[in-house]
Amino acid sequence: MLGKLALAGIKNRRRDYLVLLAGLTMSAAIFYMFANLATNRAFLNANAVVSSASVIFGFGAVLLILITVVYIMYANSFLLSMRQHDYGLFMMLGATRKRVGELVFLETLILGTIATAIGVVLGLLLSKFLVGFLLNALGLHLKHLTAFYLPAIVATVVLYVGLFILASLFNLVRLTRTTVLKLLHSDELANQPKVNPVWQLIQGVLGIGLLALGYWAMAAINDLQMAAIPLALVTITIGTYLLFRATILTIIRALRHTSWAKKRLNGFLLGQLNFRVHNYTRMLTIVSLLFAMALGAITVGSGYHRQLPLMAQRTGTYSVAVHDPNAHEQKLLDRLDSAYTATYTQKRQGKTVYYNAAELKRQPVEQRAYTKTGTAKHVSRQSFKAFQKSGIKDLDFLSLALTKAGSPYAPKILSAAQFKQQAGQTITVTTVRVKNLAQDLGTLKRLNQLEMARFSHPAEMTVGNYQSYTLMLGMFGGLEFIGYFLGIAFLAMLASCLMFKILSGAPGDQRRYRMLYKVGVRYHLMRHGIAKEIGILFLIPGIMGIIDVLFGLQMFKPLMPAPMSPYQGIGLTFLIFVGLYAIYYLITLALYWRIVLPKTTDA
Amino acid sequence: MTTNTVVSVSDLEKTYGKPNERQYTALKGLNFSVAAGEFVGIMGASGSGKTTLLNMLSTLDTPTKGNVVVNGHDVTQMRGNQLADFRAQEVGFIFQDFNLLESLTAEENIGLPLALKGTPSKVMDQAIHEVADTLSIADLLQKYPAELSGGQKQRVAAARAIVHHPAILMGDEPTGALDSTSARELLDLLTTINAQQQMSVLLVTHDPFSASFCQRILFIKDGQIGSELRRGDLDRREFYQQVLNELGTFNE
Repeated sequence: MLGKLALAGIKNRRRDYLVLLAGLTMSAAIFYMFANLATNRAFLNANAVVSSASVIFGFGAVLLILITVVYIMYANSFLLSMRQHDYGLFMMLGATRKRVGELVFLETLILGTIATAIGVVLGLLLSKFLVGFLLNALGLHLKHLTAFYLPAIVATVVLYVGLFILASLFNLVRLTRTTVLKLLHSDELANQPKVNPVWQLIQGVLGIGLLALGYWAMAAINDLQMAAIPLALVTITIGTYLLFRATILTIIRALRHTSWAKKRLNGFLLGQLNFRVHNYTRMLTIVSLLFAMALGAITVGSGYHRQLPLMAQRTGTYSVAVHDPNAHEQKLLDRLDSAYTATYTQKRQGKTVYYNAAELKRQPVEQRAYTKTGTAKHVSRQSFKAFQKSGIKDLDFLSLALTKAGSPYAPKILSAAQFKQQAGQTITVTTVRVKNLAQDLGTLKRLNQLEMARFSHPAEMTVGNYQSYTLMLGMFGGLEFIGYFLGIAFLAMLASCLMFKILSGAPGDQRRYRMLYKVGVRYHLMRHGIAKEIGILFLIPGIMGIIDVLFGLQMFKPLMPAPMSPYQGIGLTFLIFVGLYAIYYLITLALYWRIVLPKTTDA
Repeated sequence: MTTNTVVSVSDLEKTYGKPNERQYTALKGLNFSVAAGEFVGIMGASGSGKTTLLNMLSTLDTPTKGNVVVNGHDVTQMRGNQLADFRAQEVGFIFQDFNLLESLTAEENIGLPLALKGTPSKVMDQAIHEVADTLSIADLLQKYPAELSGGQKQRVAAARAIVHHPAILMGDEPTGALDSTSARELLDLLTTINAQQQMSVLLVTHDPFSASFCQRILFIKDGQIGSELRRGDLDRREFYQQVLNELGTFNE
């Protein structure tokens, strides 16, 4: 009978349960996707060229587990707050504590198991689509990457079901210890945090100190090695929490005594923030970490994505060289946005390749200048005389004619008349230097494939900086993918965390805004008030997250050797990310408005 | 309408439910008025339409038919912000469940109607302290609702209701959640405010003791005014007896 009642209770709040279930499912799915990468040794070994990448992955997993634990605690307390009134009612009607305890235990466990099961399936599907989509979009090819990976499934199920068993036990203890009356009136309790200025100061100083330590640890990853990441993780988390606790409460208290607080709903806004500051500091810490993780991962991913072509473009001169282009290849060549195109006729005989001086004069071969330290500078064209002396020995020029064994033919320049009489196999070669390698990657890839199909020794037949690009992609592509993948995963996690904030805060706010409505507060004032409150909740972790990332990118310096830099071009990435975050904010706000604002007809 | 009428209700009707569904008419053509400075009670059993009437008067609900004029404003013609402003400026409310915002101190709760009007903070502080002295809650101003007793909460709510000098003070069972001592204190306070500030008070209650503080009582039964009782020169005790007698026969 009680089971039936409990089921009816769930039915009545199926909307809340659905959101709770959706959030947990999402979290399990994200964890599976992550575990799928993190536990796949073959994938890691094949793709993470830099050994510390797999270390980063390991700590990423630890962090995700920590966040998951907090997340489930959060969800669980929401579940409990949703149900305790019902449970109190059951006890009032005469149900024994033992019976109610069983119910609580089962309910939590069943919900958790369902969420885990759906989550794993969803994670599988998402892995399949997201991985495929990402690899496609990034033009990557990663070995040993599959959507279905049994150890990852086991890891997810064990972690989630384990955590839910713990949560059930926790609920059981908590419910059986609380009095019936408290359960019935649980939502009416209020607490006002006490403030001790000295303690606040200590917290603030300690927080900043810990943050500084964490930032330093990330910058000093070369010295600290393995220890850097866990050290940074712990210090930044605790530091952020302490800093929030110390400053937010102090600022709110200070603002409350100003005359600004006595204007319209400002006082109410501050009261709201002050009232929930303890819940909020925890949430803000988690959100700021997730924000930093997501932004950092995407910044690194897009850093590789953007900088690999740039870096490749700075190696050598031409982007691609095509021998005896056929009609199809010519069409593709024409499609390239070329900065410099040249076509030379070669005559190959023995170990020598002959060039026509007239052609070389008409279309000089380009050279790239290098600084003493080996950094690439601009491209230039030598005079014919200088070319005969030095340019002719450039690897780029030599590579235009390679033997089947892969070694270059010795180049020799003949006058137009001599060249005409020279015997040998005649081949033309067209070199193109594109303006922007990243933009023409698709066409270049196609050209490369066609060359490979036409010549017996394809790898040696096409040279140029497109080739360098593919080589680099093989080295760093794994990191690029991981960056994007984690970024998206953390972003999704962030969204569902904020979702719980809406859910857990909304019922109380509903009551408060109805009171305001009765007292005669204009609608748009209430809307603005909510927009401000939620805006602050978004803004603080956003700012903190950006600061975290700016320091945290130091960690990737060893992984992005010069001339690449984790900081290069981050402005656009940040802008896009902040845009996404702003969209989250607007959606959250719209949802909150709908839940909380009183309808004009109900009083 | 004469200038000394604060509330004037004519032909007020309220029907719940859509036309094609089962409808229920809570108010059936009510007519009455409240003069400036008058202390009027509205009594009736549960379901008689008391709360519906108060919701109409306070613009929390809209009537199906008829007019409600409060302090010269026809509330049935108002929309959106006008309604909110009307509630904020012309009416003071005291609710049975206090309706205090638990995240604000007593002082901030009381100051809310003034803050909404954009009152300068100095004027606001003065007004708050004045009203706090009147209601003897000056020492409670820095406390949060959770730290106050029921009676104290209701006095804070009363302070919030009158701090902006509304045209009329409306109470919806304001003593419903109070013990008898606190209830009597609150009713005495309302009487004092009514007498000293010439503020009209409209009290909705089903409790004869509360009603006996009024000068005039309207009895509602099934959505209509069944009878009316005037206190005249009787003292409160005698009036209380009269109310009890009236109730004894009214519901027969």
